[in-house]
Amino acid sequence: MASSGSGYDLSSSTFSPDGRIFQIEYAAKAVENAGTALGLRCADGVVLAVEKPLVNRMLVARTTGGYTRSTSTRASRSRVSSATAGRSLTGRGRRRAITRRHHGTKIPPATLSSRISAYVHYFTLHGALRPFGASTLVAAYDTGTKRHSLHMIEPSGVCYEYYGAAAGRGRQPARTEMEKLVVNPSRVPEGGEMISVSEGVRQLAKIIHSLHDDAKDKPFELEMSWLCEGSGWKHEGVPREIIAGAVEWAKKEIENEGENDEEGDDDEDDEMEE
Amino acid sequence: MSHQYTADYDAYAGKSAETRHLKPGELSTGTTIMAVQFDGGVVLCADSRVSTGSYVANRASDKIAQLHDHIWCCRSGSAADTQALTDYVRHFLSQLAVETGRLPEVKVAAHLMRRLCYQNKDNLMAGVIVGGWDPVCGGTVYNIPVGGACIPMPFALGGSGSTYIYGLVDAEYRENMTKDEALALVRKAVAHAMARDGSSGGIIRTLVATEEGNVRDYVSGNMLPYGPAGW
Amino acid sequence: MSELTNPAIGADPNAPSGGFSFDNVHRNALLLQRQFPSPHSSDPNASANANSGDRSILPLATKTGTTIVGVVYKDGIVLGADTRSTNDTTVADKNCEKIHYIAPNIYCCGAGTAADTEKTTELISSQMELLRLNTGDGQSRVVTACTLLKRMLFRYQGYVSAALVLGGCDLDGPHLYQIYPHGSTGKLPFTTMGSGSLAAMAIFESDYRDDMDEVDALRLVQRAILAGIFNDLGSGSNVDTCVIRVDGTVTMGRNEIRPNEVGPLRDMVRRSDVLNMREGTTAVLRSSFVGRSGVGVSMADVTVTAMET
Repeated sequence: MASSGSGYDLSSSTFSPDGRIFQIEYAAKAVENAGTALGLRCADGVVLAVEKPLVNRMLVARTTGGYTRSTSTRASRSRVSSATAGRSLTGRGRRRAITRRHHGTKIPPATLSSRISAYVHYFTLHGALRPFGASTLVAAYDTGTKRHSLHMIEPSGVCYEYYGAAAGRGRQPARTEMEKLVVNPSRVPEGGEMISVSEGVRQLAKIIHSLHDDAKDKPFELEMSWLCEGSGWKHEGVPREIIAGAVEWAKKEIENEGENDEEGDDDEDDEMEE
Repeated sequence: MSHQYTADYDAYAGKSAETRHLKPGELSTGTTIMAVQFDGGVVLCADSRVSTGSYVANRASDKIAQLHDHIWCCRSGSAADTQALTDYVRHFLSQLAVETGRLPEVKVAAHLMRRLCYQNKDNLMAGVIVGGWDPVCGGTVYNIPVGGACIPMPFALGGSGSTYIYGLVDAEYRENMTKDEALALVRKAVAHAMARDGSSGGIIRTLVATEEGNVRDYVSGNMLPYGPAGW
Repeated sequence: MSELTNPAIGADPNAPSGGFSFDNVHRNALLLQRQFPSPHSSDPNASANANSGDRSILPLATKTGTTIVGVVYKDGIVLGADTRSTNDTTVADKNCEKIHYIAPNIYCCGAGTAADTEKTTELISSQMELLRLNTGDGQSRVVTACTLLKRMLFRYQGYVSAALVLGGCDLDGPHLYQIYPHGSTGKLPFTTMGSGSLAAMAIFESDYRDDMDEVDALRLVQRAILAGIFNDLGSGSNVDTCVIRVDGTVTMGRNEIRPNEVGPLRDMVRRSDVLNMREGTTAVLRSSFVGRSGVGVSMADVTVTAMET
């Protein structure tokens, strides 16, 4: 990396001469190298999906701890990268959500997200602190406005609302794939309709699996959760059978597309792998 | 532990719950206040007497204070304490409204008030009724009596005069009243409390909070709906 | 030690020397016996306890057992106060000032402990001036003064014994507030405070009218204060008034009415010539004048040189 050794990357309180803070960029790199995390805002709810790489072949799957967590019954978040950093953040998010519950209502998603982002941002301001090597996806339901939403907070502390958000290793191709889905209510094609949560589960499973190269990459576990009308607007893990069904469908789809692709142009695939 | 309670009771014998914590010379809104929900809003109502001991320090006071655009409260107990409380709640609520960018819920206002009342219960003498309209729950009333409980209610009574009219209100209250029916009920009830309670009197102030806005009104002391016509 | 201890309060001369001394326990018991007053036993509305049998052995703060009033009229505010300050049953000051300055357009009458009213109004007036300088706004708002006062008094939970009538005019017109020692406030068209408030209120309740002119309002305030002076033991001496108009002008009427003037009465008393010192009784032997030595700098000392351009 060009910046290493220059002396401008030792602290997040130092700007480089061209106006960058390398410590924050390194933190972002930590996220880029981690398993993919996806979030999709559908017509009737939000779906979160995380690719949890099994770092060791001897690991028993399902024991590595959930990457998607409930901060309260109405808001949930999934995160990528540094397990400890992420855990510390979700813990804080839970406390935040609980504090607002003392005021008698559920915390609005935008408020929760901006509070978390303020906290994350604080860690980019002081020389004595290390920025969070974690991106956070917040799926939440607003009891006041009866709207559901998806926010993402990045290591720099920026926070935006998304129709579809991706973080981690496969984020670029995942975004390209998600853009093909009908998730933006203002851009629904004539005669078409917004994607549903159950369809969202299948599409995310497909994206995660299509980005994974069984030969090259480590084996992984697919963790999915949703917060939707069907779950009573509570954050829940997607039932194991549904995930299994979605994965089966996804693999079949990928196989079919692979057959079609062999006839077509190969360059496109290379580009998408990045 | 029971003997301790008995001792406490003896110490307060002859003093009403409203006045036992007041320091000598402290102003009390020895009061009748009430609030009633109706379809689409709430009616708040209060008498106007503020007293120090046996002297009426203010005979036309306003015990209905605004907390936010559509959220109000009726104050009873120590005038200084309840004024300070409403100032704090108004402050926090406006901050919260700016942060969330929307109208606060009555529930939030009531819980802020409850938290202040409960956490400082040793230093406060305040019984408050919070009521108002919000886009989520519509017209809502919360009663926050001395001690810092917070109870949602279709209607709430408070102050020293309330004891005289519980029966009246229980008999006359009906669910799903219209605005005018609710107004008539609170005026009648508070007028009767003012007639029997020495610490309540003056005029009746009312406030109607709905989505459309707030309407204040009053009934002057010689027009109170009390007693048979021409009494 | 033992010879210094009063045997009447029960110190044991045979007690072992050294260790803790519990002498103060006896002192405290004695103070309790002599009806040590609680800090709240003084009601701002009650007259200065003229005949309390169990008088405290501790010194009392000087109180302005007082009549203060304020009234809103067509073009402004009229404030009024008596000028007696008492220490227990003694008149400590026969002509004190109870109308305090807050801002050029705001004044405040004070009742209660003289030191407390004096210092609170002084503190708030300084805060108001700093606020004017910081905001660059030439005019203070009456409601700001009221809020600052009530916050301070509430913070001290009634231990700062100041009962105030705050009046002034700002761009929203005339405003009149009453502020109690515990920090509660009220906004009213007319108000009275202090031990003479009942007497003064009787005048207001019978003769106050909305939108009076200045002459009528001033006359009403004077009558209310006189009622306090003559009917309340804690109030007395002269009538001070203050008119604050919406156009920004202020008229302080110091000792506007002196119903207790004793000068003419004194003159009527014929004293022995022996007691009257005439002018020239003490002879002037010598007088000399010493001019001021030139320490300061005047314009004459300054040499003006043209600026180089």
